[in-house]
Amino acid sequence: MKKILVVDDAKVVRMVVSQILKRNGYQVIGEAANGREAFEKYKALKPDAVTMDITMPEVDGIQGLKDIIAYDNQAKVIMISALDQRDALAEAIRHGAADYVVKPFEDDRMISALHEIFGDSTPVEH
Amino acid sequence: MNIDINHLKVFEVMTRLSIDRASRALSKTLKTGAKIALSNIYITDLTGATEKMNEDTREMAGVMVNFHGNVACKLLFMLPMAGTLILTDLFLRQPIGTAKEFDEASESAIQEVGNIIAAHICNALVSNFDATLVPLPPIVHNDYAGVLFSSLLMEQGMNEESFLLIDTSFKILKTELDCYLFLIPELKSFEKLIDSLGVCV
Repeated sequence: MKKILVVDDAKVVRMVVSQILKRNGYQVIGEAANGREAFEKYKALKPDAVTMDITMPEVDGIQGLKDIIAYDNQAKVIMISALDQRDALAEAIRHGAADYVVKPFEDDRMISALHEIFGDSTPVEH
Repeated sequence: MNIDINHLKVFEVMTRLSIDRASRALSKTLKTGAKIALSNIYITDLTGATEKMNEDTREMAGVMVNFHGNVACKLLFMLPMAGTLILTDLFLRQPIGTAKEFDEASESAIQEVGNIIAAHICNALVSNFDATLVPLPPIVHNDYAGVLFSSLLMEQGMNEESFLLIDTSFKILKTELDCYLFLIPELKSFEKLIDSLGVCV
């Protein structure tokens, strides 16, 4: 079972994302509320992938992404943000994000992103 | 304040497009209709603006968001404390009445509503009007409506001069939720943006 670290400053979003992941056969190994916590938990928990919000207090998701990729350049980080802007997307991809999901999203969009990065061919039901 | 009628007209269009987009995003998030409509855009001062809010004596949960970019703006979203429980249930896709008390989940539900509204307003302004704009992390406060409202304005340094206030009607369908949503744009930067579009002659 693939282990996922869920990062968002809003607890309700972490709860919803975790529910979706668990329903689809993933293990939520930990949660973090900003980029700094995400990096610390990444090192400690060694997840297979991370879902990362961008707009967060203290250390944002882009810095969290940069820190994780600098530590492990094979890290799989999916950005999940309400920012649907070319510059935000470009910055995330430039710093090594594996995918970018815009909030609000359908459950299968996030699961498709995970299947894609794990090379899993199981189709997502629409 | 030198904003003229043409600027105001363009500004009204910008606002409608932005809040329409935010409405759609929020409806999708909550899986129920969220209807935000422009009620009024007017120039007022601190006394005038807070007078009306002071009439509402309910305790509220409010979220404030600052925008950062080549245009500046502030947003205040607030709703009565009991409403935050309904919002939490909608977010977590659980039957209304499940959430019983204002806790970390309820606080984060209103925080995330603020984030989604603010981000989609920014998205609309960026894609339609070439603005450079992102929301900063939302800040949640609990207090009376008038106190929340005036603290937003004071923080903006608006206690002495007049400012432009965008007032909306905000309803979440199939619930009794009646919310407040205000936008306070920084006029000089929006004037510049409108001028750069070349639509005012």
